[in-house]
Amino acid sequence: MAIIGALAAGLGAGGLYAVIGVCLVLMATLTRVINFSQVAVGVYAAFLAIRFVPLGVPPWGIVLIALIVGAAVSALLGWIIATWLPEATGTARSAVTVAGLLFFLSVSYLQFGTRPQALVPLVSGPLVSFGVVTITKLSLALILLAVALAVVSKLVLTKTPLGVQLRAISDRQTAAELIGINVKVLQIGVWAFTGAVMALAISFAGNSQAANAGVMVNLIIPGAAAALIGAFKRMDLAIIGGILLGGIQGLLTAIPSINLLRDWIPIIIIVIFLLWSQRKEVWDVAR
Amino acid sequence: MTLKLTDVTVRRGIGPVISDVNLEIVPGEVTTLVGPNGAGKTSLLESLSGVIAVSRGSVEMDGADLTKMSRRRRARAGLAHVEQGRMIFPSLTVRENLQLTARTGADLDEALALFPELEKRMASVSGLLSGGEQQMVVLARAFAAKPKYLLLDEMSLGLAPVVFLRLIPIIQQIAQDGAGVLLVEQFAHLALNIASDAMVITGGRVSYHGPAKTLLDDEGRLRSAYMG
Amino acid sequence: MSLAERTTRGRRVGRPLVIAVIALAIAAGFAFGLPAYIVFLATTVLVSMIALLGLGVVTGTAGMISLMQLTFAAVGAWVAEFLAINTPLGTMFGGFSFIFIMLIAGLAAAVLGLLVGLPALRLRGVNLAVLTLGVAAAADATFQKISFPDAWTNVRMPRPFDFPADPAGDRYYFLFTAVVTILICLGVYFLQSSRWGASWKSVAFSERGTASTGTSVRWAKLTAFSVSAFIGGISGVLLAAQISKVNFMTFLPINSLALYVLAIVAGAHLIDMALFGGILFVLVPEILKQFGVPLEWGNIVFAILGVQALTSNSNLGQDIRNSIFRRRRKRLGLGIAEKSLDTLEGGETIPIPIGTGRTLLTVRDVGVEFGAVKALQHVTLDVTEGSILGLIGPNGAGKSTFVDALTGFLPQHTGEFVLDGVPLQGKLVHQRAKLGLRRTYQQDRVPPTLTVGAFVNFVTNGQASEAEIDEVLDFFGCPTASTPISVVDVGTRRLVEVAANVAARPKLLVLDEPAAGLSHEEHIEFGQRLRLVPGKYGVTIIIIEHDLDLVRSVCSTITVLNFGQVLATGKQDEVLSDPEVLKAYMGETEML
Repeated sequence: MAIIGALAAGLGAGGLYAVIGVCLVLMATLTRVINFSQVAVGVYAAFLAIRFVPLGVPPWGIVLIALIVGAAVSALLGWIIATWLPEATGTARSAVTVAGLLFFLSVSYLQFGTRPQALVPLVSGPLVSFGVVTITKLSLALILLAVALAVVSKLVLTKTPLGVQLRAISDRQTAAELIGINVKVLQIGVWAFTGAVMALAISFAGNSQAANAGVMVNLIIPGAAAALIGAFKRMDLAIIGGILLGGIQGLLTAIPSINLLRDWIPIIIIVIFLLWSQRKEVWDVAR
Repeated sequence: MTLKLTDVTVRRGIGPVISDVNLEIVPGEVTTLVGPNGAGKTSLLESLSGVIAVSRGSVEMDGADLTKMSRRRRARAGLAHVEQGRMIFPSLTVRENLQLTARTGADLDEALALFPELEKRMASVSGLLSGGEQQMVVLARAFAAKPKYLLLDEMSLGLAPVVFLRLIPIIQQIAQDGAGVLLVEQFAHLALNIASDAMVITGGRVSYHGPAKTLLDDEGRLRSAYMG
Repeated sequence: MSLAERTTRGRRVGRPLVIAVIALAIAAGFAFGLPAYIVFLATTVLVSMIALLGLGVVTGTAGMISLMQLTFAAVGAWVAEFLAINTPLGTMFGGFSFIFIMLIAGLAAAVLGLLVGLPALRLRGVNLAVLTLGVAAAADATFQKISFPDAWTNVRMPRPFDFPADPAGDRYYFLFTAVVTILICLGVYFLQSSRWGASWKSVAFSERGTASTGTSVRWAKLTAFSVSAFIGGISGVLLAAQISKVNFMTFLPINSLALYVLAIVAGAHLIDMALFGGILFVLVPEILKQFGVPLEWGNIVFAILGVQALTSNSNLGQDIRNSIFRRRRKRLGLGIAEKSLDTLEGGETIPIPIGTGRTLLTVRDVGVEFGAVKALQHVTLDVTEGSILGLIGPNGAGKSTFVDALTGFLPQHTGEFVLDGVPLQGKLVHQRAKLGLRRTYQQDRVPPTLTVGAFVNFVTNGQASEAEIDEVLDFFGCPTASTPISVVDVGTRRLVEVAANVAARPKLLVLDEPAAGLSHEEHIEFGQRLRLVPGKYGVTIIIIEHDLDLVRSVCSTITVLNFGQVLATGKQDEVLSDPEVLKAYMGETEML
């Protein structure tokens, strides 16, 4: 029973990994970037928003501020990349997000210090309990957020004119420009969207993963593992992967003897999927 | 109101790939650019739509300096560039490809009317279509935008002659509807048959510029331009 | 070796050695002339420089993103401490034990680099980035839990030659670190000038081009990553002995990020810039400390500089070099048109080679499909050894697809290729190259970061001597071996590519539009030289060309492709006067 309990406890983390994973998949398919700064942006926005708590702003207002800051800050990075590296390789564009990660992490430390931040508890308490097994409301909220994100994205991408334009851009950027699509604005829009989503997720999850900026930002790694399970293309697999990852990590807490191994789970999963996905050698024209 | 090129030179890398082009595309007429293969003709079209820059000379569309406009603005101003190689959006269906440029449902229906073969393929993912069908999608997409000037780059590439013959009257139709068409082709005869104005590019330079009919009647001149 | 060769060779080896000796002298002066605190800082500068040099190999030369350089340092430090404190190895060789331990620790880090590099190799460089970040974070957590050997027993990491851990000992330690740094610089310099280094630069520029030279892309990336890991490990060992007490906070993942960004900003693949980067890495926090500014500002500045460097696609080192050496964009060397051929062979016209009569390449029923598009169908032909075959046809006929299938880039094709009796089925690109099949490319695949000579040496897998390389370059009118490719114009780069592949003496060489970018006179001269190649170098050629004059002047047999199928094949005069071929080019059909 204790094992299942530990598994359930890991679901919250899994939900967060799933959200990050879906955001990374969206960014990778629509803007050709592996966004290393994805979580850092959300963390910065969430931490900045709670500065307004002493001013008497209600919780929903705090979340709103976080959303706006997350969108704005992410859009800024997106604007830089879209303006100066519009035709660069994915690797070059992703390298800029590494610098972005360094930037936002350092600014977070600077503004907010290195101690854990007390985020506003938006959702707390258990949802259901069977003896030792507890599924918290937060876990459910995060998983729902990930699923909602994937469903909404899928709907927008397949059923709306905006979505058609976004998919056209990710197919052939130059051809999209030549038929008059505003590639730059749309791509920056995607950046803003994922920035806001991450701000929301961190605002939710902050307390349970309570820590300083550095630990929060480390979440990019299991998030990337989840996205890798979807080969950076499929949101559904990223969600499943993220939840599974959280579950496995939770499971391992119940087995103290492999304490050390726990930290390496995301990496081992990444490796397994990389080995699996490159079974066949494929040359693309560009290389 | 024309698309006017004056002394246009385009460079790729360090050397010029096509030099000193003077050309005027008139709405309602088909101008064709023929000549043996070498990057010059495609590079010229790319410099018009903004994929690459014009190194020297000027380009004016309806009086406005084209070189100062972004690719998107040029498209919005009525310039449509159909690139070489059937640039459909492979993950989009045929309908979605057309929806990208058709401003109204009527425009889309008009485009479809030209290509009845696409009717039954509307829901198919365009990446899975045959070469001929993909070329039709690309042309329909360009037509649906109701462009003022249409640049067509080597539409015949990799297409069976039967298929390309199918497309020729459509190009004529597009011109008749008021667009100025610049048709780049390595298959000279078919292009010369529907064009009023012709330009032959050999080795990056203009070796003939005049009525298409004259060139059609002068077999020897055409052959020497191609076969050396 | 001739006297001329010996002098250039000597100059190449001699100059870095002279610089090394001078650097050593300067270091000695620093060690005993500067205040103790500065000497201590300077040691950290050197350690950072070494870490950056390692990063420079993997990012600057091989073009990959590595975010775990300090993890390699941590592994090096950990292994060294363990060996020094917990095993007899620490005292077995007296003062020299340190050096052995350092090398073993470096190797341990290299092994980790190998393990990490293996899975991520075939995909885009970004996947390596994700993996390295993950390993860095996991290692960080592990080091937090198990801590370093010096903390277990509270014994400090001993220094080499029993230098004491006081300011006096610091001076000797600085000198020791300087010697190690200089040795690593020399190692990196010679590695980068060697074929390994050429393979790294080639991979960074074009993976396809690299594979076609017979070099495994995977091997090139693996060596780059392992070398960077080894150097990183060494830097960790030196750091551990310098400050005697390290823990996980010394090697935080965020500092690996900062180091990566700094490597991009400075251009750490250039050795002088690695030094500059090391200085920045140490100096910026020091200055901030002096002024009471929070240290995070240092990272913020690095991040902004990093974004600037990435968006301008340059770095400080390159900018400085560009402003010092104005690049000359003119034709270098004699140029192929200026060197008249009758100074080489007899005055008569060189005949078109017709070959020995033996079939070298058989192509049977080859087909390629991309989805519903049939790019090639039922292609069958034979290539005679010692001849030059022309492969022509209108644009889009499938010529490049054919070459891609032949050289191994389209493993899904149907039909078969047999080269000199060896079926090519199942062989990878670089394996086919090793079997004697080479090709050149339509698009520019000659890395501008190499010199002409280094490129040719790389393409020939080191098999050609300097004399042979010079001879081939001269034959094709290319610039001399020491010319950097960055100053050579695109058309001449194509010639260099042809020359390099001829020098590799393959059995079969496929040239894909080699003369594009050459003037008309140069086309003629090029044709003359091509006619000599089969006899002189023993190379059979397939040439894809649009310039039919050139084709007429070199090919004895011609195959015409149209819509992915063979339209005509046979002797030159038959094919070129075939009315069907004329129609195919000019697009006439029976329907008109």
